[in-house]
Amino acid sequence: MASNNIVIGIAGSGGDGVISAGEILVNAASSDGLFVFMLKSFGAQIRGGESSVRVRMSSEPVATQGDKLDILVVLSWKDYLKFQSEMLLEDHVVILSDSEDSFSEENIPIPADKLKNWYKVPFNQLATNAAGTSLAKNIAMLGVISELFNLPKTALEKSVKKKFSSKRDDVIEKNLNALKAGRDYVKKEIEKKDSVLFEYTPGDPRIVMEGNEATAFGALYAGVEFYAGYPITPSTEIMHWLSVYLPRYNGVVIQMEDELASINAVVGASFAGRKAMTATSGPGVSLMSEGIGLAGMAELPIVVINVQRGGPSTGIPTKTEQADLMQAIWGSHGDAPRVVIAPSDVEDCFDCTVLAFYIAEKYQLPVIVLSDAFIGHRKESINPNRFRDLKYGFKKINRRITPTEKELEDYHRFKITKNGISPVTWPGMEKGMYQAAGIEHNEKGFPSSDVSVHSRMTKKRWEKFREIKREFSFERFYGPDDAELGVIAWGSTKGAVKEAVARANANGIKVQAIIPQILYPFLIQPFHDFLRHKKRVIFVEMAYAGAFRRYLRGFVRFGDFGVETVSYRQTGGAPFTVGQIYDKIVEEYEKKDA
Amino acid sequence: MDEVKYSLKDYKSDLKPIWCPGCGDYGVLNALMQAFVKLQIPPHQMALISGIGCSSRLPGYINTYGFNGIHGRAIPLATGVKLSNPDIKVIAVGGDGDGFSIGAGHIPHAARKNIDMTYIVMNNNIYGLTKGQASPTTPVGEQTKTTFYGNMDEPINPVRMMIAYKASFVARVFSGDPKNAIEVITQAIQHRGFSFVEVLSPCPTFRGVEQFKLIREKVRHLPEDYQPTDEVRAFDIANDNDFIRLGVIYRQDRPIYTDIMRKMQQVSEKMGKPEILNLLKQFEP
Repeated sequence: MASNNIVIGIAGSGGDGVISAGEILVNAASSDGLFVFMLKSFGAQIRGGESSVRVRMSSEPVATQGDKLDILVVLSWKDYLKFQSEMLLEDHVVILSDSEDSFSEENIPIPADKLKNWYKVPFNQLATNAAGTSLAKNIAMLGVISELFNLPKTALEKSVKKKFSSKRDDVIEKNLNALKAGRDYVKKEIEKKDSVLFEYTPGDPRIVMEGNEATAFGALYAGVEFYAGYPITPSTEIMHWLSVYLPRYNGVVIQMEDELASINAVVGASFAGRKAMTATSGPGVSLMSEGIGLAGMAELPIVVINVQRGGPSTGIPTKTEQADLMQAIWGSHGDAPRVVIAPSDVEDCFDCTVLAFYIAEKYQLPVIVLSDAFIGHRKESINPNRFRDLKYGFKKINRRITPTEKELEDYHRFKITKNGISPVTWPGMEKGMYQAAGIEHNEKGFPSSDVSVHSRMTKKRWEKFREIKREFSFERFYGPDDAELGVIAWGSTKGAVKEAVARANANGIKVQAIIPQILYPFLIQPFHDFLRHKKRVIFVEMAYAGAFRRYLRGFVRFGDFGVETVSYRQTGGAPFTVGQIYDKIVEEYEKKDA
Repeated sequence: MDEVKYSLKDYKSDLKPIWCPGCGDYGVLNALMQAFVKLQIPPHQMALISGIGCSSRLPGYINTYGFNGIHGRAIPLATGVKLSNPDIKVIAVGGDGDGFSIGAGHIPHAARKNIDMTYIVMNNNIYGLTKGQASPTTPVGEQTKTTFYGNMDEPINPVRMMIAYKASFVARVFSGDPKNAIEVITQAIQHRGFSFVEVLSPCPTFRGVEQFKLIREKVRHLPEDYQPTDEVRAFDIANDNDFIRLGVIYRQDRPIYTDIMRKMQQVSEKMGKPEILNLLKQFEP
């Protein structure tokens, strides 16, 4: 089976170098111009424990990690068991395992028919002989699989060199020896009995980014100047990255004592005229809710990134879920407008963050970016040129509008305007002194509990939504407009939906998907257009209570369109597979025909 | 002295305080504005930040940039302002409930980071705005709206707490002693680092006019030769049960956060400030 699309899974113990091996493989494939997708999965332990990666590479664009593994590498059977439900196997799967693993074979939980292509390789011994240390067994393993399946070879060498470039020369040498030992072993000792082979034509190198890196980079690109945060999985990489780079651009990164302090420092920085943000996960947003409301009331631009994890409460910190939608939209008290944007892949993490700053600064309100662990922690290959000339970068809108000289003569910070946006000053500006407040205030900023003032100011703050809806529309459509079956999803489920729809359409099943990027304010028109030909739609979401479906039904009268709705949802942890969604599409499509 | 450019009326806002007649906070407002006049700080170069409570209304009564935030969060809010614009004088104000109850978790961190700001706590040993409940500084045994059978909790001693947190400037004044209050608040604003001033600011409404009298009887200025750099001595003063000592009780000079931040920025600048898109190099395979 020669294919230009291959999925490799590696599982082992913390010290086995599983994730390093995945990264080296991904870099090699990317440098040969392939499209790659890498998903890490690990327990909540600090060191050791179990870890796994899934790497998919292809000469065609890929939107998911792939449903099932073509190749499974087991460095430790004991650890593989923890990932069994996440690492499903193709019928033709090829399995490689460490021949020195003492795990008893009769306990291996894989049906016999999937064990027919099983190679037991002495990874440990190969590494020890070639490199003098068993630490290089992951590299020896890469040598074995690259030879056995025709994975990028020269690029792999380059990638190993790069990985150890900060180490002494002999370390690089030893690892290259391990790589070669793996290859030689295949040539000499393995009689290939499987048919899995990777075929590709090299192209221009691509870059490799994780979602959280893309978010941080997007923030810098948008001109962020102030970051205050508190570490929380799975968002912390955003702070890590910014703490390296933001100071180089005269920006501030400060680790606060908690999320309450973080959000208030961000609001303070915004009050002082800075582009300010924080990143956290659901539990952190809970603590920040009051501060987000404050930014809404004081009409100060802030960006809050929520890299969602499995909940509720502490939940599953290292695994993904999409259950914070309602918190993002309605969290905090009172009528507190904020914009909610959902990135759907790594590139989107960049785009949505840039867009978030654009909207926040222009409209002077909080913007929440609803990322999740699935996109935050995965690596994807990206064309480096796509970052040039972005529509909403700092070149487009640098900062919130400030008052003119004339407006300063009788400055009303919260002046009621047609679109709700009023010019803003900040400390240090000579004439525009005003009071910001969480308390209701008049146009001047003075406190007021007059109900008519409250009514006018509430309206003013919401008026911005009308304008935002006019300016933006971010829906992605996949499949033919006239399909009678539709799929509605958001955020990180996009990849699986996109591939499932493509597969269905290729198999003669007409289906179209819509994925909104801006979730709030809600844009009705694109959904009405989408529904024009639909008879039935499937909501796909990784949230048990189906919040997205409930939310949309508040705006869209599906019944009026004669559209039946079906909810397809699961709890978080393991993201949807293409196959799952495809099967659901087929099921509903057949019902429609019946 | 330089030419007087700003007078009291330049610092006064158009808003009339809603405090009760006889409230100690009037004295704080006055002392603060007098300190500004002494220091001739341009109003637009200042930010007054507060949380929630009677005293937290204060920024509205002064004509500078101000932010009346949410309960307990004046300190982080002020931190954000200060780090964003280190040239601005940042003064956080609030009450004993706002600062030592809901907001208590923030104080040690602003103190240890030595954020260059002044934090003035108007202590009246009661919650005034919510009409008379026990605060973290209410004495043991006192009856309040929430302590019908007498307050059971040991009160916080703000000065002792601040010395323990290594705040780099710790002082106490009395709103009924304006001369000393103006002098000490002026020093606090001038201090480079985190300066804390506890103002004994009686609440005639919920603690009675006798609170004024009781404080007046117990307060004493620090001795002329008092050296505030001695931490052990400072603790002794804080622990004094016979008299309430007024003045600068503890101070130390140490680097402020923004200075360290600038140094770090200089180090990182040496690593280069590439055109942003050039950062993409690190993602090359």
